[in-house]
Amino acid sequence: MINLLTDPIRHWWGYYRQRPFGRLVQLFVARIFRAGGDSDMEGLDLGMGLVLTLLALPGGFVSILLLDKYGTLLQWMRGTLEVDPLLMSVPDEYFFIVLSMTVTGTAAVWRWDAIFPDRRDYMNLVPLPISTRTIFFANLVAVLFLAGLIALDVNAASCILFPMVVGATQSKFLFFAKFAAVHAVGVVLASVFSFLAVFSMLGLLMALLPPRAFRRLSAYMRGVVVVYLVTLLCTSFAVPNKLLRPKGALPSWTLLFPSCWFLSLCQSLRGRASPALMELARLALPGIAALTVAALGCYAIGYHRHFVRIPEIAEAAMTASAPRRSRAGALLARLVLRTPFQKGCLPFVWKTMVRSEVHRLVLTAIGGLGLVLASQALMNAFAGAKSWHQAARSPEALSIPFILSFLIIIGLRIIFEIPVELGSNWIFQLMLDPDRQEWQSLARKAVLTLALPLVVIIAFPAYAYLEGLRIAFLHTLLLGIWSVLLTNIVLTRFRKVPFTCTLPIFKQHSIVLLLAVCFGYVLYAISTPEYESSALAQPLRMIGLAPVAAAAWFIPHHLDKSAIDIERKLIFEETATRTIEALRLGE
Amino acid sequence: MLEAVHLTKRYASLPAVQDLSFSLHSGMVLGCLGPNGSGKSTTVKMLTGLLEPTRGVVQFDGHNIQDNLQAYRKRLGYVPEEAHLYPYLTGWEYLEMVGTLRGMAPHTLGIKLDSLLELFSLHPHRHASIGTYSKGMRQRILLIAAIMDNPDIFIFDEPLSGLDVASALIFKNLVQALGQQGKLVFYCSHVLEVVEKVCSDVLILRKGVVIAQDSVANIGQILGQSLENTFLHLVDDLDTMNVARDIVEVMKAA
Repeated sequence: MINLLTDPIRHWWGYYRQRPFGRLVQLFVARIFRAGGDSDMEGLDLGMGLVLTLLALPGGFVSILLLDKYGTLLQWMRGTLEVDPLLMSVPDEYFFIVLSMTVTGTAAVWRWDAIFPDRRDYMNLVPLPISTRTIFFANLVAVLFLAGLIALDVNAASCILFPMVVGATQSKFLFFAKFAAVHAVGVVLASVFSFLAVFSMLGLLMALLPPRAFRRLSAYMRGVVVVYLVTLLCTSFAVPNKLLRPKGALPSWTLLFPSCWFLSLCQSLRGRASPALMELARLALPGIAALTVAALGCYAIGYHRHFVRIPEIAEAAMTASAPRRSRAGALLARLVLRTPFQKGCLPFVWKTMVRSEVHRLVLTAIGGLGLVLASQALMNAFAGAKSWHQAARSPEALSIPFILSFLIIIGLRIIFEIPVELGSNWIFQLMLDPDRQEWQSLARKAVLTLALPLVVIIAFPAYAYLEGLRIAFLHTLLLGIWSVLLTNIVLTRFRKVPFTCTLPIFKQHSIVLLLAVCFGYVLYAISTPEYESSALAQPLRMIGLAPVAAAAWFIPHHLDKSAIDIERKLIFEETATRTIEALRLGE
Repeated sequence: MLEAVHLTKRYASLPAVQDLSFSLHSGMVLGCLGPNGSGKSTTVKMLTGLLEPTRGVVQFDGHNIQDNLQAYRKRLGYVPEEAHLYPYLTGWEYLEMVGTLRGMAPHTLGIKLDSLLELFSLHPHRHASIGTYSKGMRQRILLIAAIMDNPDIFIFDEPLSGLDVASALIFKNLVQALGQQGKLVFYCSHVLEVVEKVCSDVLILRKGVVIAQDSVANIGQILGQSLENTFLHLVDDLDTMNVARDIVEVMKAA
């Protein structure tokens, strides 16, 4: 029976994949998943199966975690006997909508370079007897196919598990089916919207900007999109309550968040929407339609402006002017860089962070998270305060530079693990003495030269203006010491030149590391400012932090000292690590 | 016959190629020589139809190639200067894709691929991804992709780059054999000895302008010297010995 159904499909697919158009679509789907851009860089190619699994994971995990909230036994133990699951699930449904938008949008931003055909495609495909129009349509079909696939994949788990979890309180299958159908409509449409929004922004930039300006602006625009997506995710804690007002108009800013449109659509499909939500729901479908038209238009113009003109652009871009040397940079280099190793490697580290798109993107995402957390802290600081003075001394306001410095330091430590071009490592292997052990100090300088000035520039002038020089000095000093100590901790037993080893695979201790980061965040960015807030009134109480600082200095120092000789040597891991190992039991 | 008629290409206001004319007859192997920036790559791109000339036309059998690019490309085999291949495809998958896009029948394609991969010593590696290939192996993949559909015109842009000695020798003999088969071959290279050996005619470019065009034998006879010296004489007044001496001096400087 199954064969009767699948055989015609298999036959059709076998025939179709041998056609030039089908072959092109396959090629573009594979290139979007596997590798984009003109580089042959390896290291982050995870393969289609693993990418789809990773995209599906967040929805599945979150659904399972919600069992705690909807489980009937737990509700009974809490004394909650009468619950309205539809009302109770609104904040969670909003969270799933923003999660699906964020995950899909991030996937689209990640593959930004691969969505449009590039120079490699031009050089391989255009000399063949196929028209550029065929290439255009094949790529379009591939992009639309992927938009649909990602939308389904990202939401597959939540479309089944979340309705099951919510429906646990109900004994009717119809409730589950109706809830699942409406939820699926909401999250899949939100996903498609997010993908199309990124796609049309990319096309619009290509259509409007000259190629060189597009290449420069592209990285910044990706950063802006990532920050917007992180902000969108953070709205899930506050927005649902604003939307659930039974009467009156909704705040006008809800119009700017498409996630609100899709939640309203779900509510109106369930017949639970207030008149204001009904108004908002009416934006969802026309919004998607308008975005689709805009995306297609921008794609067509962008394709014509960039792809068709690739050989002209490549030939004309052969000349470039010499970069300007900044005096501040030269002064910093003279002060910080002491040995030939540092003089050679630190500029390489700085330039990689600034110029490599993958590294910039990860750093931007972490920076975006930092900005969101910092702005929440700022809002909280002013929420209950009667004056600027009181707000400035609150733990929330004091925590802002701590949050930023924590995320910058952790972010830099993470991007040090992402390889840039393993094939170029030979120069370091040839030149560096593996016994000199300078790489830890190199990494420390790379982190501190970025993290320290940034937080000091924010903290010192602000507190000097608001609280006077003494408080500003104390706050900045504590911040500086904490940054140095955290940097030492995260670089314990670090023995690589940043960006020169393959990406570490997920190991059992990765979960422990993740928990350690969360615990570290609490200590660094929550507990320390709380203590500091109380100690600022009596500065001598700051001495209470000395034992913590001593322990934070001694433990990494001891771990480094106790390492055996072989653990101190510089390493270059260049073999591709497998994400999944087959057991090969049959062999 | 492939004909370039008064070809000119400008990037913004800068001329890359100016008033270039030549013709390529059946059985002719035309070598194109010139230093960096002389307009060789631009010429190749105009001949393949990748770039549209600012002025002038490329004609094949009397028709402007831009009028029906697809039909022209069906009869064209091209090896580009840089091997921009898809690293995640295997050698076999890449060639199968090119064959499919060229409209070759699957059965013929499979047989041809097997034979050509064997002849170019790539058969054992056909199922490895191109990302793991050496430069020479990638170049051989490009060569197979160019010849597998038996086209009438061949345009080779630095085809020997990265090839080992045996493959390079095979390729040189192949180019001569293609000429004898009546194919049209346009061969761009920096390696003067190869051009001297495999090409019947030569075209020398300098700053986008043709400065010499004749048979290899005639050019040597006129100036009474080897192609290398002829090339240096025509292309630049560069004193290579002096430049080498200056480089050593700079190396020695404290």
